[in-house]
Amino acid sequence: MSLTGVLEIFTLLVTLYFALWNASQIAMGAAASMFLWRYQRRRTRRNRALAGRLASPPLVSVIVPACNEALTIVDSVRALLALDYEAREIVIVNDGSSDGTLGVLRRTFHMLPAPVAFAQPLSTARVRGVFRSIEEPALVVIDKENGGCKADAANAGINAASGVLVLVIDADTVLEPDALSRAVLPFLDDPTTVAVGGYVAIANGCRIEHGRVTDVALPRSWLARFQIVEYMRSFLLFRLACASHNGVTVISGAFGLFRRDAAIEVGGYDPTAIGEDMDLTLRLQTFFRSRRQPSRIAFVPLPMCWTQAPEDLASLRSQRCRWRRGLLQVLWRHRRAIGNPRYGIVGLGVLPYTAIVEGLGPLLEVSGYAITTVAVFLGVLNWSHYRVLLAVSILFGAAATMLAVLLSDVATRKYNRGRDLALLITIAIVENIGFRQLNSWWGCVGTVQALTGKGGWGPMRRRAFESRAA
Amino acid sequence: MIDLLLAFERMAVWMVWAGVVLALSMLCAVVTGRAAYAWHEERRHRFERHYGPLVARALEGDRAARHAIVTCPPRDHVAMATLLITPLIDDRDPRRVAATRAIVRKMTRGRLGNRLLPSRWWWRRALALRAIGLLQMANRTHEVIAALDDEHPEVRGAALDALADMQDPAALPVIVTRLHDASLQRGRRVAALAAFGARCEPLILDLAREDEEHRINYARALAVCGTERSRAILCEWTRDPRADVRAAAFEALAHVGLDDRAAALAINALESADAPVRAMAAGALRGWEGPGNAARHLARHLDDTWAVAVKAARSLQSMRQAGRDVLESWARRSDLAGILSRQMLWESARS
Repeated sequence: MSLTGVLEIFTLLVTLYFALWNASQIAMGAAASMFLWRYQRRRTRRNRALAGRLASPPLVSVIVPACNEALTIVDSVRALLALDYEAREIVIVNDGSSDGTLGVLRRTFHMLPAPVAFAQPLSTARVRGVFRSIEEPALVVIDKENGGCKADAANAGINAASGVLVLVIDADTVLEPDALSRAVLPFLDDPTTVAVGGYVAIANGCRIEHGRVTDVALPRSWLARFQIVEYMRSFLLFRLACASHNGVTVISGAFGLFRRDAAIEVGGYDPTAIGEDMDLTLRLQTFFRSRRQPSRIAFVPLPMCWTQAPEDLASLRSQRCRWRRGLLQVLWRHRRAIGNPRYGIVGLGVLPYTAIVEGLGPLLEVSGYAITTVAVFLGVLNWSHYRVLLAVSILFGAAATMLAVLLSDVATRKYNRGRDLALLITIAIVENIGFRQLNSWWGCVGTVQALTGKGGWGPMRRRAFESRAA
Repeated sequence: MIDLLLAFERMAVWMVWAGVVLALSMLCAVVTGRAAYAWHEERRHRFERHYGPLVARALEGDRAARHAIVTCPPRDHVAMATLLITPLIDDRDPRRVAATRAIVRKMTRGRLGNRLLPSRWWWRRALALRAIGLLQMANRTHEVIAALDDEHPEVRGAALDALADMQDPAALPVIVTRLHDASLQRGRRVAALAAFGARCEPLILDLAREDEEHRINYARALAVCGTERSRAILCEWTRDPRADVRAAAFEALAHVGLDDRAAALAINALESADAPVRAMAAGALRGWEGPGNAARHLARHLDDTWAVAVKAARSLQSMRQAGRDVLESWARRSDLAGILSRQMLWESARS
């Protein structure tokens, strides 16, 4: 086949990919809108009061794996202690920190050593000690040797948890005060619920006082702004669309509420998984579906927590490459579920979509930009075709992002200033020129790293939460 | 191939236009949605500023304020009802409920039930049921009961919430007989039982005598609302051939409290072959300091399976000196029993 023929086939492939991506965004938008509409109808104050009216609401153990989080841990713990859900314990897992995280916790909350008395069904690095606070009886700190990953620390927390439900969050996560009382509702409604995920919002630019987000505003950093609309699209289009058909395959590591027995039954977090949150969610989906046991993984389309997004290119690059490696690893591990009718919508719908659009997408996109340009210069493709591809991609991309902004407005009512709205609309358009391509490029780099077995956690600049708007 | 690309180019103009229309529609939707919300919020704030103090005065018995609320323009009725009824979710003061009910009745003249309850839209039916429940409109209990068979789960849930809020004794048999109805949300069934408390007990006991098949559900219900009146029947159920029923019976006994006979049964059940039964029996012995030397029997289960060992340790911790002696003697061991004993002693010392 001639070079021209190859280029033609490739251009067609890229065109089909763009068509699939755009069509899927529209379809997901429709499914997500329906889901959100139904959810909003059910979202009443009386429903929320249900957990408070139960004589014994389910005990939730909030597990916070913390490795070198001395800067943010106290804010996080204070916010957790102020949650409006009474039946909760907070389990901080100090994963061999070297920055004095344990010392900060012991000093701040006056913690004393206690015996290590709990069954350890999930194997983890050695637990060195347990500390309990006299002032805050619901606070427990597990001090363990570094296991090399969040999964190991989360497993130690799951072992130590007394609750029937375990909420695993990141140490730099700031929870909404009513996050737990909202997140437990699906468990009360439907006994087949095994896990609940929530919308993770970006805290950059917000004012945070006493571990609470008190004022929501957009950050000054354009990188953080791009990530805000990206999160909206990811959580409020893709995950809502999946949730509408019980096909959630990712519960974010920043906020995941699981039935403890179910998490233990599937072996907890896998310390060898790079994307341990997606891996656990998929194992839950496949475990129950393969046994024909009714199960549901629910999603709450409200901001459950706030997390920091990287504001410098190096941190963002390493995060995206890591996510990419994690995605490819999980897809490879669960390759038998892709296209397998045994796993229902997950096997036939969500995983094939993830494999094509997210797995192959960045490669097709980057090579598409490059090869289409070459094709134009070689005369295989004319300029008008090239411009149309670009214009359609930008317009549909902007439309999808604006739909996500609209859903975010309906669901969360954050970013209330007119200036923020104007900025969000601008970001929805501008992110398609530059940021999206950069992301795709990092996706390619991550793929190469995954294939060559390179790439570690990478640099991640941590900051204490701002007490004033940026 | 070339044909396909040419076909694509022919479609190109349409695709660009589709993209433009889609993007502009989304833009309009975002802006319109935001403007509508801002207008709605402004209206709500204005409404609350105007009527908030009036509502407070009306609930305190001010006739003029009550009249002003009742004669407010019909377009404000929904907002007014929301303003009046929503606080009742958290504030169940009977006087406030009665005063609000009187105002809403005068204001809506029965339309709340007559218009919204038969609505074809489930959220309207659910809204009406919640309002009826919060206002404790006892004359509408039969309609709420009928809504337990509604086709929509949210309406059934709202009906159960309403029955729990109304606490009308006439609804008790319905709540109890629906204990096994899986179409009703589990959390709501428990909340409804908890709302009625011990008033459910006689009915549960009557039904349980007739219906052996669902004994486990009755036992679980008695674990929520049982009193010592249920002890005898629960003792009988600890001999049921089904292990889950025996475990549930001991769980309920832990709630209602033990007497000598029940404690003897719990001590015997510590030797059961079924771990859940042993665990619940160990839990039921919490705080028991009567005959049977329960502490000695529980001590043997400190190195049982985890669920049993933890319950045994907790019960020993609650047995004051007798329990402490046992825990101290086991605390020197290096196995699970020793760890648990040290934990219990440590916790006792701190509390």
